Amino acid sequence: MKLHRVMAVIVRHCYEARRNVDRFMDMVYWPVLDIILWGFFTIYLRQGNQLRPDVVSFLLGAVILWGIFFAFQRDMTVGFLDELWARNMINLFSSPLGVWEYITGLICVNLVKTLVGFACASAIAITAYRFNIVPYLGAFLPFILTLVLFAFAIGIMMAGLIVRFTTRIQTLAWSFAGLLQPVSCILYPIKSLPRVLRPVAWILPTTHAFEGMRQVLAGGGFSRLHFVWGMGLNAGYFAAAILFFNWIFASARNKGLLVKIE
Amino acid sequence: MLVEVNHLTKRFGKFTAVNDVSFGIEPGEIIGMLGPNGAGKTTTIHMILGLITPSEGEVRIFGHDIRTHREEILQAINFTSPYVAFPYRLTVLENLLVFARLYNVPRRREKIDAMLEMFGITDLRDKPVARLSSGENTRVGLAKAMLNDPRLLLLDEPTAYLDPEIAWQVKELMMRVQRENGTTILYTSHNMAEVEQMCSRIVFLNHGRVIAQGSPIEITQAILKEERDEPALEEVFLRVVRERISA
Repeated sequence: MKLHRVMAVIVRHCYEARRNVDRFMDMVYWPVLDIILWGFFTIYLRQGNQLRPDVVSFLLGAVILWGIFFAFQRDMTVGFLDELWARNMINLFSSPLGVWEYITGLICVNLVKTLVGFACASAIAITAYRFNIVPYLGAFLPFILTLVLFAFAIGIMMAGLIVRFTTRIQTLAWSFAGLLQPVSCILYPIKSLPRVLRPVAWILPTTHAFEGMRQVLAGGGFSRLHFVWGMGLNAGYFAAAILFFNWIFASARNKGLLVKIE
Repeated sequence: MLVEVNHLTKRFGKFTAVNDVSFGIEPGEIIGMLGPNGAGKTTTIHMILGLITPSEGEVRIFGHDIRTHREEILQAINFTSPYVAFPYRLTVLENLLVFARLYNVPRRREKIDAMLEMFGITDLRDKPVARLSSGENTRVGLAKAMLNDPRLLLLDEPTAYLDPEIAWQVKELMMRVQRENGTTILYTSHNMAEVEQMCSRIVFLNHGRVIAQGSPIEITQAILKEERDEPALEEVFLRVVRERISA
């Protein structure tokens, strides 16, 4: 892996972010809109005295953390889509650039973009709704890591599917996370789910991240159990994603898809 | 040999796009690859670049197999085709800066300025690629292809979208690059006059097979099956296409 090639990918996507309004909207607009919407909802609940004080923190904390997961997963896939839409794949992969150098560059750019969205959403939560995520960051960090790693694994799998099935399935970039949302127990504890869905929820690192977050906000301290489960599951998903992507990329070379995809 | 293509075959399901193709390229040579649409030229180039895995056979460049030495081979070669594009929101300069980084080109901006001047597109430097004409885009592709001073240049119909004057300039430039830097060039084109002037040797493909290879005059005599004093690649090409249609 060569640093100058990873840098080339970073620079390429920074130029794109600067010139493409869609990328700016993805980075800032949606996290900000989500936090404004849920913030108003917590104000409404507060006015009716229908709310335990810690529920505001649960809701806003969950919205911010879900924003991190969703943005990272989406941007991993959209990074590949940008190359397809631009018909740039042949130029890129006829250069010495390796596919894992490309993915590493994409991760670096997406970390920064996600951080910008997180900072904007957190700033609004502090100023408008008096929810300050900063004191919780130390305890949240392991769960943020869990979410980012899972988003990374999902993003790689989605990118692999796009290499194979091209832009015909590009909608997955934005919609796949939605499929996980109900069973990730973002806004409610796992015991609220129907019994039949609970095993599905337990095998998702996102569920462990949000259960862990709720324990922190409820004053129960850091949940080592949820963190270990989340990371253990991530190790499995991560290994599967890498194997899947390597297999599908080799298969794309074999089927000539790399030169046809657009 | 700088490039050895040995018994290269590519099958996509039941369709054979390239069938047992073999040829070599000497250092500093300009070799033309001709053939009607669908003859297997582009698939062969893509296999040389490692973008498509061959079903059988091998490609060796600088003595190494592209499958096992991809990175070091691709560092020293380059490719362009008007059928591939650049990120259209980025300016010409931004795109070239990205590729200059990919190839680890020293003094990137100086090199880019020299390439822009070489292809007469300095005024396009800060223009988004989306606003370029096809011909301008082709010249940006050529500038990209020259950034790393490649030892081997693969040009897939580089003059397809250029007007005759610019196409002539590009042809002259490529011949100058070959003379001055000893760059080896593999060139495909549908402009037979251009190929006759540029290429010392030609590989003629049809239905994925090599039907003749040699100098332009040898190709002419082999395919037309008659003695000629001058190469007549236009006539050769039309003969192959007509036979293909009637078959």
